Amino acid sequence: MIMAVAISGAEQIDWEQGLVQRARRGDTHAFERLYREHVGRVYGLCLRLTRDPAHAEDCAQETFINAWRALERFETRSSISTWLHRIAVNVVLAKRRRFTPKTESLSDADEPAEFGWTLDTPVEVGEIETAIAGLPEGARDVLVLSGIYGYSHLETAAMLGVAEGTCKAQLHRARKLLRDRLNVEIG
Amino acid sequence: MGSNDSNQQHGTATSLRELARSVTPPRDLWPDIEARLAQERAAVGGARRFGSLRPSRGQWAAVAAAVASLAIGVWLGRSTLPTAVPVSAGNTATATVAQGEPAALQAAYVSDPRYLQQRATMIRSLEAQLKALPQQTQAQVGASLATIRKSMQDIQSALGRDPGNALLQELLVNTYQDEMRVLTAVHEASDAGEEI
Repeated sequence: MIMAVAISGAEQIDWEQGLVQRARRGDTHAFERLYREHVGRVYGLCLRLTRDPAHAEDCAQETFINAWRALERFETRSSISTWLHRIAVNVVLAKRRRFTPKTESLSDADEPAEFGWTLDTPVEVGEIETAIAGLPEGARDVLVLSGIYGYSHLETAAMLGVAEGTCKAQLHRARKLLRDRLNVEIG
Repeated sequence: MGSNDSNQQHGTATSLRELARSVTPPRDLWPDIEARLAQERAAVGGARRFGSLRPSRGQWAAVAAAVASLAIGVWLGRSTLPTAVPVSAGNTATATVAQGEPAALQAAYVSDPRYLQQRATMIRSLEAQLKALPQQTQAQVGASLATIRKSMQDIQSALGRDPGNALLQELLVNTYQDEMRVLTAVHEASDAGEEI
């Protein structure tokens, strides 16, 4: 992340686009630079979605391999970070679908309004992470993408392949469960 | 998206947005990724030499037929072996040989670390590659690999009792070659069939 701190956002996008162009031409060193820059965020997402370090490693690795294969399809005006996250979510969901039966679904009926993720009292980070890891899959997925990584409902729903209303309902559920488990108000 | 990209693991937080988005993996994943990319580049190079990247129906059938014939070949090979003694708790030496990698082998091909590394990499990527194949071929590949691996275990068990048996050593090397042919066939067939 050193490079990201040392240069501005616009410069970083230019710099990354240059790396993408080089990687498209088969330059694995350029792709390694992209890997080094983004592996932490990709692994962090995979770890929170899978709750298993070894599984998260596999998913992160698969994410970069799939990204390499799909570099031609990446639109350089987009954020490579978001693009990699989309791929990572796809990898995690694909593996999950193969090993578990269909997960629970929520109707769109109880769609709540937008809400924040501020806790009324400071809570130990480890305690928050444990509470998040203990959430049901669907609720955890949307909370991680929306609550931690800051994606909009629309973006989160698109990544997970669910309706936006379902996404909001899952967030509502996640918020309620988190509040009960952490014993704090979330506003 | 905010800017909280630190590896914060301790302390307290008053918002989920304060949680670390970036988590460093316990090990560097790049060497494995690089090995897979090298495989892909080699496979693409090979495929380009032979034409289309996407396997045709005929190629699927060829892969399936090759896999099926390998399984039969391996099964016939197994039938010529001395009767394998089932691995039991009381047969520690045999069990060690049967469960481990080819520790008892004299054959340079199988014990070559480059070969073992390549094999491990291909086995790790097998699951993802199988997804690109039709269901029927997936089933055939799974059955063939199971047969091949059972053969490896049987041969290794037999070698545990008779480590100097040249015929067994040759059979084991052949079986590893059969496995590598199946892994390579799957890899080549699935290449360019992968969707994100």
